[in-house]
Amino acid sequence: MILLQLIVNGLLLGGIYALISIGLTLIFGVVRVINFAHGEFLMLSMYITYFSYTFLGLNPYLSLLVGIPLMFFAGMAIDQLIIRPLREAPAYMQVFATVGLSIVLLNLALFLFTGDYQSIHMAFAEKTFRLGSLYLSYAKLIIFFSAILVSVGLFLLLKYTNIGKQIRAIAQDRMAAKLMGINLNRIYMLTFGIGTALVGIAGGLILPVYYVFPSVGVYFVLTAFVVVVLGGMGNMVGALLGGFIIGITDSLSGYYIDPSLKEVVSFIIFLIVLLIRPSGLMGIVGSEEMGMK
Amino acid sequence: MVAGKLKGAGEPRIYVLVITLAFLFLLVLITKNAFYLNLYFMVFMFAGMSSAWNIIGGFGGQLSLGHSAFYGIGAYVCSLLFVKYGIPPLFGLIASIVVSIVLAVIIGYPCFRLKGPFFTLATIAVGEVMLLLAVYFRGLTAGSEGLSIPFKPSLFNLCFESKTPYALVAFSFMLFALALSTWIKRNRLGFQLVALRDEDQAAESLGVNTSKAKMAGLMVSGGLTALGGAIFAQYVLFLEPHSEFSINVSINLALTSMVGGLGTIVGPAIGSFLLIPLQEFLRIWIGSSFQGLYFVIYGALLILVVMFMPRGIIEFFSGPYQSFLTRLPVFGGRTEADGKIRRTPVSSGRFGRTETNRRSETPPIIEVENISKRFGGLSAITDLSFSVRAGEIFGIIGPNGAGKSTLFNVLSSVYRQDSGIVKFQGKNLSSINKSHLVCRLGIGRTFQLVKPFENITVLENVMVGAFCRHTKSSEASSLALDVLDFLGMLDKKDAFGHTLTLADKKRLELARALATGPEVLLLDEVMAGLTSTEIGEATELIKKIRDHGLTVLVVEHVMQAIMSLSDKVMVLAEGQKIMEGSPQEVIQDQRVIKAYLGKGYELT
Repeated sequence: MILLQLIVNGLLLGGIYALISIGLTLIFGVVRVINFAHGEFLMLSMYITYFSYTFLGLNPYLSLLVGIPLMFFAGMAIDQLIIRPLREAPAYMQVFATVGLSIVLLNLALFLFTGDYQSIHMAFAEKTFRLGSLYLSYAKLIIFFSAILVSVGLFLLLKYTNIGKQIRAIAQDRMAAKLMGINLNRIYMLTFGIGTALVGIAGGLILPVYYVFPSVGVYFVLTAFVVVVLGGMGNMVGALLGGFIIGITDSLSGYYIDPSLKEVVSFIIFLIVLLIRPSGLMGIVGSEEMGMK
Repeated sequence: MVAGKLKGAGEPRIYVLVITLAFLFLLVLITKNAFYLNLYFMVFMFAGMSSAWNIIGGFGGQLSLGHSAFYGIGAYVCSLLFVKYGIPPLFGLIASIVVSIVLAVIIGYPCFRLKGPFFTLATIAVGEVMLLLAVYFRGLTAGSEGLSIPFKPSLFNLCFESKTPYALVAFSFMLFALALSTWIKRNRLGFQLVALRDEDQAAESLGVNTSKAKMAGLMVSGGLTALGGAIFAQYVLFLEPHSEFSINVSINLALTSMVGGLGTIVGPAIGSFLLIPLQEFLRIWIGSSFQGLYFVIYGALLILVVMFMPRGIIEFFSGPYQSFLTRLPVFGGRTEADGKIRRTPVSSGRFGRTETNRRSETPPIIEVENISKRFGGLSAITDLSFSVRAGEIFGIIGPNGAGKSTLFNVLSSVYRQDSGIVKFQGKNLSSINKSHLVCRLGIGRTFQLVKPFENITVLENVMVGAFCRHTKSSEASSLALDVLDFLGMLDKKDAFGHTLTLADKKRLELARALATGPEVLLLDEVMAGLTSTEIGEATELIKKIRDHGLTVLVVEHVMQAIMSLSDKVMVLAEGQKIMEGSPQEVIQDQRVIKAYLGKGYELT
């Protein structure tokens, strides 16, 4: 029975990971940049929710209405200011630039908000209910279903809208897409914005169950990298699946091995995946080398 | 690079270097101020460790953000040996280096299967794993509580009463790191690392075992970083996993290299001389009152450098510095090497031999039996067989998509055929799946889309090929000069890869391949895009190469050239052989005309 509860906990945790990873993998798949500052966007969106709760008294779930557009524009701005000049540059320079951005954002938060752990107390978030012998947290269930909802929404967006088609076209072949008259820069900008808005959703939803502090993003982004590589870089369904797998792994290894070693287990899975199937579970074999140099 | 071979102490670049180092040395000796001595220590240590990072990160272009793993392991191994077993840190350093080299192999094996940002991600994960393990095994490392090293001043303990000896130890460490990275850069490993950074496929085709070179680079880099970490720990006398294995250590090493000049010898040191004092001053001025703000400035600086000075500060300094050097007097007269190139004849090289054993009596050197290669649903080559005799020029023609380049990629083991056998000198190549091994066996190739190593000179490009059969830098360089001379490119030896015209880039491809000392040369459209004069020159060159006893396979669209060159021509269409014969027979064959011009075309 414990095992079942652990798996359910893992799935709920995996929902959080998936939600964070989907944006990262989308940006990677289209813009071909691994955004090392992705975790700091998560941290920022958590602070947005935190402050709109403490100052404006806004319900965290309602604060998404503020957070999502803010993160969307922040993402687009970052793309235009930092990523755009480096589009044709070697990949390592983009790595450096986003690492630099991550340092700036993290320490800016440290400077502005201090390193204290902050959290909000919502009666609702702390409630759980019983399903048979299982205990489930409302807040985590909301995250779980949001992750699925966001994936489906993104899937529909990519599949059926005009912008979605352009995004997919670019992801498959930049040059051909450009020759078909797609404005590459505009789509890159929008994709970066969407990817950042997605992590904005994650930030808003997890604040009721987590603390926020300046380096919270570092913790989550490392797991998100594992998830993204596991699922296949650039693959949305893979991110969802990878999120759940890592969530369950975390939950099981935390209980059966040692709570402080659960990340080691997921990093070892990460290294094993890299070793035997670097393209990830859902990625096309060889795609990890595509456009990468 | 050229001036790098000078030995004379009277040369400006030598005595300026000596004076600079002597100045730094004196700087350490004259001050008693603890703040400055601490600063010097930090600067020298980071200069040394950034140089270490730069060996794999800069020369090899493998952007590691996991070097904290080496730094931390170096610190812990040496310190634990001292604390637990009383082994003096001076000897413990050796253990630190050995353990971190082993760690490099363990890390390198999975991580080098990845390229670009994926490699970076994997190294970050490794650093984090090390951190988590160090926290977890608190019985060994004392975990998050930290490990204190007893203060027992002695040279063997690398522990001193004053800060001056520490600064001198750091200074020696920096000198050692700089000397080691200079040596690597100028020798085979350095050339191979730079080559695989710029174009890994081309490097493989020139006999560079890229996996091995990267591994060697990481081992040296990791060992040196661990040495730094171990020395640092004896200075701080306190270890804690979150500071020893902090990703900030890794970022700092990469950052100082980047700011100074990635992949250059002195760049990382220059970066440290600028950034570490900046860091210290920022920490003092604003760090205490505004937590985090100095890191904001630091991160912003990183972004700005990447965007506006991607080649680092050194780019701005190297020009004025060179002209400053030329205005300095030379003592003791110019050495003989200056301006002239010393060339020692290469005896062991296969290139340069003169016997010509060709025509039909020679045995087949390449035999292809029923090979097929499919890409998903597309059949690029279907059941193809042919053989090439030693000393022949074997032309391969066919419309676009006929499978010509695929065939070359199979012959050079870039791809592996789905079925069939390729034999070279009677040896089955099917078991060989690495193109560098094929190159070492004696099959050289060029690429249809030229892949020069862009950031090194023509001579250095060719030397990468020459290192296939030579280990000494001097031998490789004189062979490379021979080849360049042979191809009439000697005047361009100091030009950088990216500045060449297309014709020269193609000739450079040829030169590199020749320098590997091949028996068989695969030339993939070396004439496409050339003017008719250049085509004429290229034709003569290929004949000259054949007359040196090499066998040449030529894929070409330029009919005039292939017909005048080839002893035999094979025509491919849609992955199959249409016919094979002398140039005359091929031109008159109806099937060939159909394949090229379409069915309705009648020759009148």
